Parts: sequence; C-alpha cells; structure tokens
Amino acid sequence: MNHDPTLPATNTGSTRTPAVDGGCASRLRADQIQLAYDDQIVIDRLDVTIPDGQITAIVGPNACGKSTLLRAMARLLKPMAGQIILDGKQIHSLGTREVARRLGLLPQAPIAPDGILVIDLVARGRTPHQTVFRQWSTNDEQAVRNALEVTDTLDLAERRVDEISGGQRQRVWIAMALAQETELLLLDEPTTFLDISHQLDVLGLIHDLNRERGRTIVAVLHDLNLASRYAHHIIMLRNGAIVEAGHPSDVITDRSVHDVFGLRCAVIDDPISHTPLVIPADNRTHRTNQQTQ
Amino acid sequence: MVCLVVAAVIIAVGMYSISVGDAPVPVSDVIATLLGDPTADSEFIVGTLRLPRALTAIGVGAAFGMSGAIFQSLARNPLGSPDIIGFNAGAALGAVGTIVVWGGSSLQVSIGALAGGLSTALAVYVLAWKRGLEASRLVLVGIGAGFSISAVNSYLITRADISDVQRATVWLTGSLNGRGWDEVRIIAVALAVLAPLAIVMQRSLDRLDLGDDTAAALGVRVGRAKLGLVLVGVGLAALGVAAAGPVAFVAFVAGPLARRITKTPGACVVPAAFVGALVTVTADLGARRVLAPTELPVGVMTAAVGAPYLLWLLTRQSRTGAL
Repeated sequence: MNHDPTLPATNTGSTRTPAVDGGCASRLRADQIQLAYDDQIVIDRLDVTIPDGQITAIVGPNACGKSTLLRAMARLLKPMAGQIILDGKQIHSLGTREVARRLGLLPQAPIAPDGILVIDLVARGRTPHQTVFRQWSTNDEQAVRNALEVTDTLDLAERRVDEISGGQRQRVWIAMALAQETELLLLDEPTTFLDISHQLDVLGLIHDLNRERGRTIVAVLHDLNLASRYAHHIIMLRNGAIVEAGHPSDVITDRSVHDVFGLRCAVIDDPISHTPLVIPADNRTHRTNQQTQ
Repeated sequence: MVCLVVAAVIIAVGMYSISVGDAPVPVSDVIATLLGDPTADSEFIVGTLRLPRALTAIGVGAAFGMSGAIFQSLARNPLGSPDIIGFNAGAALGAVGTIVVWGGSSLQVSIGALAGGLSTALAVYVLAWKRGLEASRLVLVGIGAGFSISAVNSYLITRADISDVQRATVWLTGSLNGRGWDEVRIIAVALAVLAPLAIVMQRSLDRLDLGDDTAAALGVRVGRAKLGLVLVGVGLAALGVAAAGPVAFVAFVAGPLARRITKTPGACVVPAAFVGALVTVTADLGARRVLAPTELPVGVMTAAVGAPYLLWLLTRQSRTGAL
C-alpha cells in the first residue's frame, strides 16, 4: 500500500483536505454529536478525532456507548445533533456506497448465512465496488485473494463458515471487511468470545494491517492491557463522554481506570511490550479470609 | 444447470398433464398442437382447456416460489413465507371482496388481490414492529392475521349471492379448474414485470442475509432494499392469488426445496421459481387424476403435501429453539 499516514489521502475524490486536529491528520471525526436510540440519549455532545494511520482503541464499561459511537461513525446511526465528518464532508451527505468504499465496519455479532462458504462470504466484501451490470472483475478476484492471504484463511476458502473454529471465523469476517479495500476499518469487539491466544492472533493481524498497509483502524476492545499494547491511541469512554484520549502510556493510569471503570488498580510497566499493565486491586479480601480456615 | 433439469421436468410433466384426462390426447398430438399443427379435437382440448391451465399452474407456481424465497430470507425463517404469515389470505380477501361485491372481472380481481395483499403486509409489519422486526414475532402476528382474514372471508361468503358463493369457495381453496387465457395473461404480466426485479434484488437479499448492519456497511441501502423486496414479494404472491387463489404451501416449500437441490445457501430466487412451478404443475396433475373424473382443487393437493412438512418444521424448530 502506498498510503502515507501523514498525508491526506488523494484517491478518494474528496475536494477538501481532511480536518487537522491537534496536529494530526484525521479523515474521520465527530463534532458535537448527540446519539440516541428511540428517546434514550446514549451520547450527548461528543467530539471524537480518529488519527489517520493509527490503531485507535475505544474502551469503557458495558453500555457506555462504544458500539453506538462506532455505528454512528460508520453512518449506520444518524446523530440527533452534531455531525460525523468523513474526508471533510458530512457523512450523511455521502451515499451509502460511497461511504462503503472508504470505510468498512465489522459489527459485533455479524450473521453468517447457513452453509455459506468462506470464499463466498469474503467475496461479499466486494459489494460496494460492484454494480448490477458489473458483478465480478479481476480486481474483485485479486482483492478477495489478498484478503484471504493476509488473514491466513486461504486454506479455509472452500470450507463452510459454520464448521470452522471461532478464531478462524473471526479472521474470515475480518477478511470480508478487508476485501472491501477501505483505508478506514472499524471493528466492534473483534476479540470478544475468543480465547487469549486467538485474541492475540486477531490483534496481531490488526497490527500488521496497520503497519504494513497503512490502514486506519478503530476497534472497540475490552482488555485494557491488550488495548494498551496494540493501540497507538486510546479513547476512554464513560456514560457517553470521553474521560481520557491519547497515547496509552499517557492515559492509562490508576486514576483514569478508576474514573472509567470504578476499579481500584495499580498500573505497572508491561515487562514485554513496555506499555501500561493494569493490575486490579484485590476485592475479595473479605471472602478469602473466610475461606482460609 | 439445476434449473435446466427442473425446467425439462416441468415441460415433461406439463405435456403429460395436458395429454391425460377424460378425453386423452396422445403426447405426440400435444406436441404437434403446440407447434401449430393441431388435429380437429386437440385444437379445443389442448388450446382452450388444458394448455392455459398448465401455463397458469407454471406461472403461479413460479410467482409463489419467488415470493416465498424472498420472504423466507427476509424473515430468516422458513415460516416467514407469504402463505403462512397471512399475505396470501389478505390477497384472497381482496379478491373475494371484489367477486362478491362487484362481481369482478379478472382485472378487478387482480387489483383487489394486490390491494388486499399489500394492506395485509403493511398491517402485519406494523403490528409486528417493536424496535425492529423479529422473525418469530412476525410469524406469530402473521399467522394471527391470516386467521382473522380467513374469518372475514368466510363471513363474506355467508353474505354472498349463491351464484358467487360457488365460485368464491372453490377459488379460496386455490384451484386451477377452468383457468383460461385471462389468468395466463395476469400471471404472465406479473412475471414479466416482477421477476426481473426479483432477480436484480437477489443481490441485496444476499447482503441482508449478513445482518442489517453488515449489509449497510457494505453499501446496501437497507431500508430501501427491504421495502423494494417486500413490494415485489407481495406483488408476486398477490397476482399468483389473483390467477389461481391462495394455493397453500407452494411458496412455503419451494425455497427450502430449491436450496436443498442447488446446495447453495441463502435465498435462491430463480431456482425457487422453477421448483414452485414444478410443485404446482405436479400437484395439479395429481388433483385432476387422483379421484378422476372428479377434479380436486389443486390447493387440496399442495396442502396434503405441505402440511406434514409444516408439522415437521415446527417440531424441529421448537426443538432447536428457533421459534
């Protein structure tokens, strides 16, 4: 990929240069957005900036509005107020397909149709590049092959999605999003339901995509330590508001973790990656005392 | 490929069906007549009596098959087919209403069926809507709506003129008896307009299969795509009903059968059309011959096959917790 994260992308057809916020280029940001389901306001007047060419992790307690924010940034949810800006334009002024060519989203629990083959599922990622009259091209072929190779799922191509393991399935879903060939990729909890080694697998894949292909990636993650290790930028969300945002070693502190999760903890240096490592305080003192004798 | 085989079988069954009956016509004569070289008898028997009937069967079956495949895929549930969730009953109400109240030419009956089908679909979707559309809710509300509508149909028949009653009752069972070129025209126009749309929309249907969010992220305009699919699906079902009455279970069995034959996942709209046509032609052949010379309504035949399948599906779904 020839994408240089410090330069605004030129191949998207946008007429204005991306907004610059705090010195770093950003193709995707939210301005004072208010998000709600029915009458219930989940997020009120929030500003978010996604730095280009980096991995951004969104962390926060359950129901703090992480997925809602992600859905809004992918144009799936229209803000009641404020706006999402993609490449300098209001995202809702762009067509669904136009957005889908620049920005991919993998929802939290995507549904695989019964009996579908891995290769057919990945091929669906090409949808925004196809029309009714031009359904399959060599570009599509190449993109699907690339996606399978990068995610190490080429061997699974002819298998059925419902017969492969959870970790493999998650890689296949990411392959589908990759086949879409968007420079921005939003992943909603890509590691949930995976065991620790598969979590590392998926995060390693995300890391490579970012580093070798310059993709901008936003992922909702639960594990603070893995988020600290793999992300360049962490957004800590609580009750629909940002508590901290910045480089992991700046924002992950015992105070911020307490503010966001209500958890007392110590933050030490991860001996392997030298990123913050959150050690939760022992909250079972009472029970353990009773159990020992 | 599979479609070609099914098409060949449809033609074979259709030919046989045209040739047998009270006045048998040899298959060779049937072919000669179709190729424009009729004998004295075959002209009338084939051209006026049996050919339009067979064509109506094929067209109606295809329409029901496509409609069923669309709705089953939208609902992610085989029970979501239009004959189960009351859309066919609604179309029938529209048609019976037109017959009983206005006497009803076949064009009026078609319009009535369309209006009935669309308003039922609207009502069912509105009633089943609760922060989104859940398949099991849709199915239950639809079954309820179907029963209520059947009750209204029965009421209409008790109030109707005796001469209309006969026509309406047979028609309500779903029958191909006495179908002429009028019905062929209805279903041919319906298919000519709606089938290409359905085939084009199959693409969106395949994406919607991945869930609304994923489909939208892939660039599908979810709301618009769903609305289009529902309109086309209701149109196909309603015009099928207008031509032959609410033939039970064709829409319901065609999709799953087609999927099993072609071994492809998701909704296969085109194969479902072929399978629906085959099911209907075969069922009609059975309906005519089982108790010959008495001709049963084709709906009795399809129900005899479809009902056990429904029971099997219900027990299986309740066991796996899908409903």
